[in-house]
Amino acid sequence: MYALPPVALLCLWQVAAFVAHARGYPTTSPFDVWEGVRSVATVGMPPGHLLPAHVAYSLGRVLLGFGAATLVGVPVGLACASSRAMHRIFQPFIDFLRPIPPLAWVPLAIGWFGIGLRAAAFIIFLGAVFPIAVSTCAGVAEVPTSYLDVARSMKARSHQLWSTVLLPAALPSILTGLRVALGVAWMTLVAAEFTDVREGYGLGYMLMAARDLHRTDVVLAGMALIGIVGWLLDLCLRWLGSLLTRA
Amino acid sequence: MTRPSSVLALLALLLPLVGCKARPVAAAPIRVAYLQNDLHHLPLWVAIEEGFFREEGLDVQVAGVFRSGAELVSAFHAGDLDVAYVGQAPVTVAVARGAADLKVLALVNAGGSAIVVRADSPIRSVGELRGRTIAIPGIGSVQDLLVRKALRAAGIDEASAKVIVLRVPEMESALRSAEIDAFIAWEPHPTRARSSGAGRTLLPSHRIWPGHPCCVLVAANRFLEGRRDAADGVIRAHRRAVAFIRKHPERAGAIAVRYTGFDPAVVREAMAEVTYEDQLSRADEEEVVRSLASIGYIEKVDPARFVDSLLITPRGGAPNR
Repeated sequence: MYALPPVALLCLWQVAAFVAHARGYPTTSPFDVWEGVRSVATVGMPPGHLLPAHVAYSLGRVLLGFGAATLVGVPVGLACASSRAMHRIFQPFIDFLRPIPPLAWVPLAIGWFGIGLRAAAFIIFLGAVFPIAVSTCAGVAEVPTSYLDVARSMKARSHQLWSTVLLPAALPSILTGLRVALGVAWMTLVAAEFTDVREGYGLGYMLMAARDLHRTDVVLAGMALIGIVGWLLDLCLRWLGSLLTRA
Repeated sequence: MTRPSSVLALLALLLPLVGCKARPVAAAPIRVAYLQNDLHHLPLWVAIEEGFFREEGLDVQVAGVFRSGAELVSAFHAGDLDVAYVGQAPVTVAVARGAADLKVLALVNAGGSAIVVRADSPIRSVGELRGRTIAIPGIGSVQDLLVRKALRAAGIDEASAKVIVLRVPEMESALRSAEIDAFIAWEPHPTRARSSGAGRTLLPSHRIWPGHPCCVLVAANRFLEGRRDAADGVIRAHRRAVAFIRKHPERAGAIAVRYTGFDPAVVREAMAEVTYEDQLSRADEEEVVRSLASIGYIEKVDPARFVDSLLITPRGGAPNR
């Protein structure tokens, strides 16, 4: 039932492409895109560079950057929420750095880290760290004071307040932040791979190689694959989140 | 009763229409594009600066400066360009794949690229590039073709050397920081890497393929159909510019410095590496088509027939060799 709209859309696209092709316009149909996927899986883009390696390199970069962003973003968010003074210290930095697009850091990242894995991971880190820090901070700040009052009345110590009240109550907000951050990280990664990639692999790199060779079928196949991998990543994170909140 | 102000306003509105009718309709400017800091495109800059287009009665306007041939050719597909200076290989790929409807009008230069390694690199021959990382400006670029030809000639299969795409301005710093072992780029980048002490020329491109065609002057078929006279004027201006560069390298070099911002000494040295030449060779064009097909960048086609469809049919001009 819910599969109907996408299937209908694909059919419509196929028909439109067929009609346009018959009238002499260059078009790419869903079947061409499927051929594009097959071509990157068997021949590779550029030839010899196969799809699984492109996906693996992209995932490696995004997991490194996103992992680092989680390790930094969550503690910074917690610190930010821990006291008014800390909030005043951290907030201006976050407010200033957050609006700078991660891609604006590309020239600096290449200067500092070169054109390899670390530069890409750094750019992804910048895309992901702020949503994590901000939602962690907001999640803790929004825990109702009545929860804390009850805990305090039961003589809870500071670390017990954090581990039994604040963190569990803020967890849904932190998880939402992580999901948003992973989406941003994935988008940033693909754009970062458009510029310089030393390893010669990555979905963004594959897309640019296809552009250089005017393979519109592979460009569209690349876009579809980026969407699917991004969606699967989100599903994984949601599944991990449901495990954590159930525990 | 007429109100003078309304009459005046009406007249003022009609005035531009009257003016338009009185004047002959000027032809739309010719939109030209070239690649950023590519010394091969000097004939265009010379033709603009020395007034060769103007003397042909042409209004040529720069409509785009691109970072890669593939990007430039895509702009033709979008209908944003009439004429361009660009590499032979990206043009061939685009036409073979039906992504652009172009004709090659003239050659711009032969040679003029080089494989560069770090100044202190132990690599002394192309054979030693096995297992090394080599940067090229783009997939399906002239330099991509040249480096694969060089590797093949040295008995290295393409899988055992890592060929990656890097933007040309970043190649020198990547070489300096040892992130790549070699790069191939158009002049003046190899010369600059050499003069800054970062690099050493391993092999100039004319030794990979003597007299290889590099950049060409192309035009959109749509433009040729509508304005063939203007296109012939562009070709004449281009040929004059090529002759000018050979006759007055100093003056041409000064123009190149203005367009690239590179050091005059670097430009002078780099210009000596480029052969400015306007005559196309059919045999070389066919070899480009065969090479691109052998890598798998384009489908296998009959090179002679393909080149027939790619080259402009001369109209009283010098025939292609």
